[in-house]
Amino acid sequence: MTSRSATSIALLAGLLAVSSALGGAHLVRQHAMHASHQTPTPERWLEPVTSTSPQRVAQGRKTFLQRCAHCHGVDARGDEGPDLHDLQVSDRYIANTVLRGIPHEMPSFARKLQGDDIAALTAYLRSLEHEADRSDP
Amino acid sequence: MDQTLWSKAHGAATHFPIALVACSAALDTVGWFRAGRPFAGDLHAVGYWTILFGAAGSVPAVISGVLMTKGSVLGHGLLRLHHLFVWPAFGLLIAIATWRALVGRHPARRLLAGYLCGVAAMLTLLIIAAYWGGELLLATAIEPGP
Repeated sequence: MTSRSATSIALLAGLLAVSSALGGAHLVRQHAMHASHQTPTPERWLEPVTSTSPQRVAQGRKTFLQRCAHCHGVDARGDEGPDLHDLQVSDRYIANTVLRGIPHEMPSFARKLQGDDIAALTAYLRSLEHEADRSDP
Repeated sequence: MDQTLWSKAHGAATHFPIALVACSAALDTVGWFRAGRPFAGDLHAVGYWTILFGAAGSVPAVISGVLMTKGSVLGHGLLRLHHLFVWPAFGLLIAIATWRALVGRHPARRLLAGYLCGVAAMLTLLIIAAYWGGELLLATAIEPGP
């Protein structure tokens, strides 16, 4: 076999392996979502950056006081739930946690909060990170 | 079923292919630089088998990883960084091992040079992916996800 045809077959094998793995992953994901009664969310290469305008943060603060302060404390420093300053997670992770909850730890807010509420809430939580940065010596 | 089963399986499965591929790269590189010596052929023969076993071992590593993350192709944060490097590394590893299987244990010196460059690129991707995998393990050990 010539090296040129061997290279072509090898590249094809590599592509086939990765596409099979990605296809298999897609099936696993569909099954896992179905089993947990969740709606699959499409993967995105770039997530939009949450707007942290003062109005958005104020809206998020209001939602936080209504829905979250009971467990996380009015200053979000933690009570029954953890401190929410300096969250090292993505916006989507926050949205997923709010929407789906954490088994035996935190209820789902999927029926109580809409997308806009969650975006505002995320903006408020991000503003807490900046607050934590400022308070650090 | 134990929820950490796939996590344990992934941890157990990932280290063999990394070690075998690194070993193969080292043996072939030494064989390439010592081409005139009688043991060079033996080094290439071992390099041949270790890359094939490494590629074969990567399949259970990928399957256990996919099952552990419940089919997340990219994910977010550290998992995304891990995946951004692991998918190209996996594709390149399978391609390189297939090429070696087709060309044989003792390819021509010029071809072997190109092959070693490909192996170096793949190994770099694999090491970066492994680094982010380790960071991910530390992060999830401290703060489990929902």
